[in-house]
Amino acid sequence: MTVAVGATPVTARHGGMSFVERRRLFLAMLGAPALLYVCAVALWPIAQGVWISLHDYSLLRPDRREFVGLGNYVALLSDDYARRAIVNTLVFTVSAVTIEFVLGFGLALLLWRDSLFNRVATALMLVPIALTPLAVGLVFRALLAADFGLVGYYARVWGISGPRGFFGDPGTAMGAIIFIDVWQWTPLVALILLAGLRALPTDVLEAARADGATAMQRFRIIVVPMMLPSILLALVLRTMEAFKLFDSVFATTRGGPGDGATNVLGFYAVKEGLEFFNVGFASAISNLMLVLVGVLAMAFILVIRRADKKANG
Amino acid sequence: MSAARRTGKIVERALVLLALAVFLAPIAWLYTTAFKPGREIFSFPPSLAFTPTWDNFATIFDYFDMPQLVFSSLAIAGGTTLLSLAIGVPAGYALARSGWRGAVWIAYFFLAVRMVPPVATLIPFYILMRDWGLLGTYGAVIVLDTTLNASFVVWMMFSFFRALPQEMEHAALADGCTQFGAFWRVALPLVTPGIVASALLCMMFSWNNFLYPAFLTNIDTKPLSVALLSSFGTIDITWGTMGALSYFATLPVIIIAIVLNRFIVQGLTRGMH
Repeated sequence: MTVAVGATPVTARHGGMSFVERRRLFLAMLGAPALLYVCAVALWPIAQGVWISLHDYSLLRPDRREFVGLGNYVALLSDDYARRAIVNTLVFTVSAVTIEFVLGFGLALLLWRDSLFNRVATALMLVPIALTPLAVGLVFRALLAADFGLVGYYARVWGISGPRGFFGDPGTAMGAIIFIDVWQWTPLVALILLAGLRALPTDVLEAARADGATAMQRFRIIVVPMMLPSILLALVLRTMEAFKLFDSVFATTRGGPGDGATNVLGFYAVKEGLEFFNVGFASAISNLMLVLVGVLAMAFILVIRRADKKANG
Repeated sequence: MSAARRTGKIVERALVLLALAVFLAPIAWLYTTAFKPGREIFSFPPSLAFTPTWDNFATIFDYFDMPQLVFSSLAIAGGTTLLSLAIGVPAGYALARSGWRGAVWIAYFFLAVRMVPPVATLIPFYILMRDWGLLGTYGAVIVLDTTLNASFVVWMMFSFFRALPQEMEHAALADGCTQFGAFWRVALPLVTPGIVASALLCMMFSWNNFLYPAFLTNIDTKPLSVALLSSFGTIDITWGTMGALSYFATLPVIIIAIVLNRFIVQGLTRGMH
């Protein structure tokens, strides 16, 4: 790019700086505020969080702050309740994202053809996405309530749910939380995949149809490979968000019932840190999340780069 | 059109309608609950029929300081959006126009910041705000919220500016336009859809955010999303008050999303390309 600018007549020296130098300085000045801001308000607290996690530190007894090294991490990985939170988070993330992807892809294929009907349907699918996740959690807590809930009452009476409802039974609570997530975010997956479908070259698909390729062959050989960027975007975005789950658990089960049946890391960290004020242990939980998100991100980058290499020969 | 294709189309439409029913029915229930008298919400067995009433709206105006709730939500969403755009749009432009190899890695850095679990920054930030006596201020929520939203804006505008050919800016610079002029008067108007999409999504994210304001605001500065939780349980466990409050907490965002759906969809589907 600098080469392109250098080729234009504006290379004349000005105030001792070449145009290219002034251009660089200008761009650096435009970019610096955001970079400095994010370093100050995101990286600095994260660094603090690492330091806090090495202490036995409760905000209720701030004077008894004691350095314990990796003690909080050892406690986190050896405690059954905490280990269950790790498993719960993985189970939730994998199940929710898989179901959202399958249903979302189906929905995107249904909405592929451009018509007024489909355009209106696509706009209406923004409704779940636009809702605050806390409200979604509360709505389903009310609807599925075993005593007075419109759905929960009949589910209990007809024996579909246990006597304490979907949220009250350790066997079904996680399923209910997954359902809430699928309800809210399947439309987002569908919209992302729909954008990918709409960007497909129609002539290639038409040519394949003319050459006698079946719908299944066209889908497998043309649609899926060409849509890979959209598929990856949908999967990455949803996996990262699902991993951080907090609102709907906070609004419904608060980690219960029983021995932490729906206790996921995002909720566990907030409960320990900002409700029980065990900030040392809570920081260890959130740093474990950071590490796991980092590993996930690396895995995704590897997949994306491999797909990229494959696509470009 | 052959009979088979016509049947196929009918099945397709029926499936779409079924999906829409599943996605919209809970919202329809929420909004009608606002007009149900407390007694009938707990009708036994639960039923859909009721005599409409405005009682729940009267209750929320009694129980909550409604102007304060609306003001808090607007202040948090507005402040976050303005600050995020002010620092995010120029940074997106700088990264897209810089010929430097490292620029794309800085863009990835912003993307990574967006992936950080919010609780990881919230706990240390909470302690800091407590020590500085800033807990309960709008500023505390806006400052923390802006890290996520500004990172989102940088990444989104990076993608919009990158897709924009540079010839116009070069021509303007060659004609003696200042560098700021080339950015502000030439490039910026051409990415208006990107800026609108960024602004709408920032507003949506920060208006809907619950975790940060739940712990960083107090009784006088809490926004609608936080009040929603107290409307669920503290007053007679009636869901009617929650329904009434939802008109304020969720309906504005839903209307904006539907009316300006083109920008929202573009923003949501291109946010990470």
